[in-house]
Amino acid sequence: MTTTTQQHIHAADTGTTGQDPIIRISSLQKYYGAFHALKNINLDVRKGERIVVCGPSGSGKSTIIRCINRIEQFESGSIVVDGISLGESMRNVNAVRAEVGMVFQQFNLFPHLTVLQNCMLAPMRVRGTSKKDAEIIAMKYLERVRIPEQANKYPAQLSGGQQQRVAIARALCMTPKIMLFDEPTSALDPEMVKEVLDTMISLAQEGMTMLCVTHEMGFARQVADRVIFMDTGEIIEMAKPQEFFSQPKNERTRNFLGQILNH
Amino acid sequence: MIRDFGLLEVLTILQGMWTTLALSVVAFIGGGTFGTLVALARTSPWKWLRVATAAYIDFFQGTPMLMQLFLVYYGLPVFGFHVSAWTAVAIGLTFHASAFLGEIWRGGIQAVPKGQSEAASALGLGYIDRMRDVVLPQAIKLSFAPTVGFLVQLIKGTSLAAIIGFVELSRSAQIVASTTYKPLIAYGLAGAFYFAICFPLSRASAYFERRFSLKT
Repeated sequence: MTTTTQQHIHAADTGTTGQDPIIRISSLQKYYGAFHALKNINLDVRKGERIVVCGPSGSGKSTIIRCINRIEQFESGSIVVDGISLGESMRNVNAVRAEVGMVFQQFNLFPHLTVLQNCMLAPMRVRGTSKKDAEIIAMKYLERVRIPEQANKYPAQLSGGQQQRVAIARALCMTPKIMLFDEPTSALDPEMVKEVLDTMISLAQEGMTMLCVTHEMGFARQVADRVIFMDTGEIIEMAKPQEFFSQPKNERTRNFLGQILNH
Repeated sequence: MIRDFGLLEVLTILQGMWTTLALSVVAFIGGGTFGTLVALARTSPWKWLRVATAAYIDFFQGTPMLMQLFLVYYGLPVFGFHVSAWTAVAIGLTFHASAFLGEIWRGGIQAVPKGQSEAASALGLGYIDRMRDVVLPQAIKLSFAPTVGFLVQLIKGTSLAAIIGFVELSRSAQIVASTTYKPLIAYGLAGAFYFAICFPLSRASAYFERRFSLKT
């Protein structure tokens, strides 16, 4: 735990030494037809910061992180990731995507490729890494998520928890500066949640910048620097976990926490 | 009766079968290549391209192949392109097959879960890599059976090339039938040859489908 705290302080320090935030979201607006999905979102994320986003379904929490790597389009506002601006143009989008790893609720592993090939694909195609080096990188991160022995299996042969760890390894193979997690444990059987959360916790302890959409409040308490509560497309409340859980200011946050913590 | 039904007649029909095979291969390759482009255009992000390819598909699915071959064979010279029968038939079959294959593969591409191309995009893969490495391999597996089904239809459909002068399997059987007055044997033999081409294809399709479903 001491190491976590130290790294935490370190991360916070680098955030205050005058450098720009690694993600800056300004006046972000997003519509699905007439539905106003994101209403004027402003959010700065410092390097090394861990942010947990929670909220009821349809609140826009997944939409925010999907806008960061432009899996989702947005109507107005801007998102600057590591100095690269994602305005309305798609020009910089692949540059941003290569720096931002994403883990999905449904894993989205490529079923026709082995675990190893899943991990090798992006380094080879996007970074131009040789096959041999891509394999070394892939094995390194498969060991990192503790499933190197599954390298030659197909995703369908693995458990849900294992698949999600492969998905994390696959994203890490691009050595991203930021990791986005979109409800990574929601599709898992209860007994598999822990192995995925443990992987995420150890990633957080290494200083990875993380944005996690999750309802795992234990995880939020343990690793988050800030917790964000969203409802109806707006950021309702944003606070350090201690404050967020012990004295939520907004009525809607209290209701939400009451619902998910008391069942 | 002008001739007896002998070895020469069998060879004539066999010769026709080679032409049928050659026409089929041309249709497969031309239709497969352009069909891929049609399928990609049909699923592209640009609406005008999707609408244009939809019109292309509707035209070639909504008119008989016989008429399409006529149009190409007699239509191209009108525009100043004097092409050989082989070129004309290759163009006609390619148009026809690409419309059908394009539509089959469009269905396959759209049946691949959206999360697949999202995951590929999130990794930074561009459109070409995404299609080549992630979407198309899965789409091909999903549309394998209807693809082979269409190819079998296409092989039999190449008999229409006879109307612009090709002596393929059906036409050769017709010629032999009229010179020997033994239509039942001639057409029976031609039918057996068609079956010999198409049946293994259907069986291979069933085999590969089983293998694919075991793997994923």
